Amino acid sequence: MKAFEYAAPKREADVVSLLSGTPGETEILAGGTDLLPLMQKMLVTPSRLVNIKEVPSLKQISVDSTGVTIGAAVTLDDLLNDARLDCFPSIKQVIRNIAAPQLQQQGTLGGELCRRPNCWYFRNGYGLLGAAKLVENGENRFHAIFGNEGPAKFVSPSRLAPALIALGAQVRFIGPDESETKLPLDGFYRVPQTEGERETILEPDQLLTHVHLPLAGLANAAYEVRHGEGPDEPLVSCAAALEIAGGIVRHAHVVLGQVAPTPWLSVAAAEAIIGKPVNAETAREAGEAAVAWATPLSDNGYKVQLAKVAVERALLLAAGLPHGGF
Amino acid sequence: MTQTAYDDVAAKLGISSYDVFLRNLPSVSNGKAEVYKAEMEIAAKLIGWKDKWHPHGKGDKNGSIVTGLGMAIHTWGGGGHTSSCLVKIHPDGGVETSLGSQDIGTGTKTAIAQVVAETFGLPVSGVKVNIGSSKFPASGPSGGSTTIGGVCESNRRASLDALDKIFGLVAGKLGVPATQLVAKDGRIGVAGGGDKSLSWKEACSLLGMMPLEVKGEFVRGTKDPKLGAGSLLSNQQVAGVQMAEVAVDVATGVVKMAKFVAVQDIGLVVNRKLAASQIYGSVIMGIAYSLFEERIMDAQTGSMLNCEIADYKLPRLGDVGEIVVEFYEPESEYSRGVIGLGEPPVISPGAAISNAVANALGVRVPILPMTPKRVVEALAKGAKA
Repeated sequence: MKAFEYAAPKREADVVSLLSGTPGETEILAGGTDLLPLMQKMLVTPSRLVNIKEVPSLKQISVDSTGVTIGAAVTLDDLLNDARLDCFPSIKQVIRNIAAPQLQQQGTLGGELCRRPNCWYFRNGYGLLGAAKLVENGENRFHAIFGNEGPAKFVSPSRLAPALIALGAQVRFIGPDESETKLPLDGFYRVPQTEGERETILEPDQLLTHVHLPLAGLANAAYEVRHGEGPDEPLVSCAAALEIAGGIVRHAHVVLGQVAPTPWLSVAAAEAIIGKPVNAETAREAGEAAVAWATPLSDNGYKVQLAKVAVERALLLAAGLPHGGF
Repeated sequence: MTQTAYDDVAAKLGISSYDVFLRNLPSVSNGKAEVYKAEMEIAAKLIGWKDKWHPHGKGDKNGSIVTGLGMAIHTWGGGGHTSSCLVKIHPDGGVETSLGSQDIGTGTKTAIAQVVAETFGLPVSGVKVNIGSSKFPASGPSGGSTTIGGVCESNRRASLDALDKIFGLVAGKLGVPATQLVAKDGRIGVAGGGDKSLSWKEACSLLGMMPLEVKGEFVRGTKDPKLGAGSLLSNQQVAGVQMAEVAVDVATGVVKMAKFVAVQDIGLVVNRKLAASQIYGSVIMGIAYSLFEERIMDAQTGSMLNCEIADYKLPRLGDVGEIVVEFYEPESEYSRGVIGLGEPPVISPGAAISNAVANALGVRVPILPMTPKRVVEALAKGAKA
C-alpha cells in the first residue's frame, strides 16, 4: 500500500475542500470494505484519504412529506434496522442477502453505490477497459450480457442500485464553489470510455451526500440469484417497483443488476407487464421480454436464463405472489 | 468416476442406484462387501432412501424445485505411521510424553493424553503432552490419515513398558506378584480389590530421585514384533458409505443440500467427539468441492483469477444442510484397533452429491463443482438431446 495522508473533517464542505480535482489523487473513505482491498493491491493509490464517517449530516436518515433522505455514510445495518424503511422490502432483502455482518455494519449506502467493478481482470491489475480482449477471449462467466459491445464488459457491482433506481431514487452530490447537483440515480452511472474514467459521473472533487427516496407507495421487491448463502455477489439480480391499481399494473420499473456495466433498466420488461395483472404467465413474458436482446459473451449464456428468471421472480414477489423457487 | 458410472447405469436401467451398488459390492469392495452392505443399510435408514427414492428425473416438481438422492462408497488405508515417543514418569507422580508430532486441529494431543492416561489409570488432566517440536523423538508428518494410528501405538507401548516397571516396584513394596496388579482410578493395587494398594503418587515415589524414562517405538511395515509387526493396537483399511439428499432449482441451477448421511467404520474409536468432528469436517469439505470450490485459471495470463476470498466460493453454514454422522462399530470392527479417519469421509461426497443431483434432474452435471452455470448448461444440453 502506498503511504497516504488521512483527514477526518466534520462538515460536508470541508470534505469537498480536501478533495483534489485530479483523478486518483484523493479518495473518499466510508466503510472502506471496497477501497482498502483496492489500495492493498495498488489498484487505487491516493495521496490522501478523506474519511466522511465523522460528518454528522451524512449519517442521518430523515423523513418528510416528500420521502426519505438517507445520508451517504449511513451503514447498511442501520438501513436494515430502520422501521421507516419497511415500505421498501426490496432494499431490505438485498441487505439481508449481503449476509456478512462485517459488510452490513461497516459498509455504507454511498460506498455500496460507488463500489468498483469486481471484474477479476481489473482486480488482478489488467485494467478495466484494457482487459476487454482478455475478457472476450477468457473467463467471462460473471461478465455482462447487456451493453457489452464496447470495451466495458464488466458488470456494475452495486447490489442496492437496482432497487433504488426502481424506487425512483435521486442522488445529491456537492462539489467546489458550493455547487450542488440532484439527479435520478439512474443518471448517476455511466459506461467509462477511457481507462481512467470511473463508472459514475461523480468528479474526483465531488461528494455524494444523500439519496432521496420518494414515498410513492410502490409495490417493490428484489430477487437475487445467489450461488450460496454467503456474501458473494449474486450471479444476476432484479428489482421491481410497481404501481398496481385494480389488480392491473399501471406503472412499472424493472432494473437488473450484475448484467451490464451499469444497472440495467429494462423498459421492455416494464412494457410487457404494464396494463396486465401480475401472474405466473405475465411475469414469465416480462422475463422473456427483458432478455430478448441480450448479447452474452463466450461463456456466460447461462446468465440470460438467470436474468429471465430474476425478472419473473422479482415481479411475482413485488405482487406478493410465490415464485416457486429458492 | 466409477461411482457416478454406477449411478448412470442405474438411471439407464430405471432402477435404484442402491441396488446397483449392492449387486456390485463383491467385485469392488476389497473383501469388505459385508461391511459395506451393513453400512448401506444404516445409511439408507437414516436418509429414508426407500421412501424418498424415485427414478432419475422422475420425482415430484414443487414449483421449480426437484429433489434427488445419491450415494457413494469409499475406502482408505489409514494405517499408523512410524512414531517414537518418550514417556517420563516423575517421582512426584507427574507424567509427560514427548513426541515430534503435531495437532493440526484434529485433536491428536487429546488422543495421546487419553491413551497414556488410560494406561496408567489416571485422569486425562494428569498427563502432559509435549508435541510440536523437532527436538522431541521423531514421529510422522500428518498425512494420509496416518497420525492417530502411529501416535497411539508408540504411546501405548511406552506407557505399558513404564507401567511394568512401576508394577515391579509396587509389587516389592506390597508383597504381591506384579502380575496381579492393575492401575485404576489413580491407584495401583491387586486386581479384583483387596486392601493392598498405593496411590499413583506413592507408587511413583518408589522411583527414588530420578524420573523413569521409557521410549516407545512403532515402525510402519516392520517385520519385528517388538517394533509393531502383527500389532493388535492399530490397523488399516476402512470402508464407508455416504448418501446425499439435494434440492435443485431447475430455473436457476442452484443446488441446495438437504441432508447428508456419513456412515463410517474406523476400528476402535479413540474419542467419539473428535472422530465425529473429523467426519463433519470432511463432509463440509466434500460439499465445498462438490458445489462451490474451484480454482479458476486464466489460460491467457496464467494467473489464478479467483485467488481473493471475495471471489473464491465457499459454502456457509446455511449451505451445508443437515449432516448425520454414524459410526459402524460392531465388535468385529472395534477389535481391529485404531485406524486413521481424516480422509476417508472426504472421498465420497463428490460422487454422492453428483448422483443426487443427477437423480433430481435426470441429467448428469459432468463437472465439479456443480455451479448454477453448469447445472443450467447441463439442463439445456439434456433438453436438446
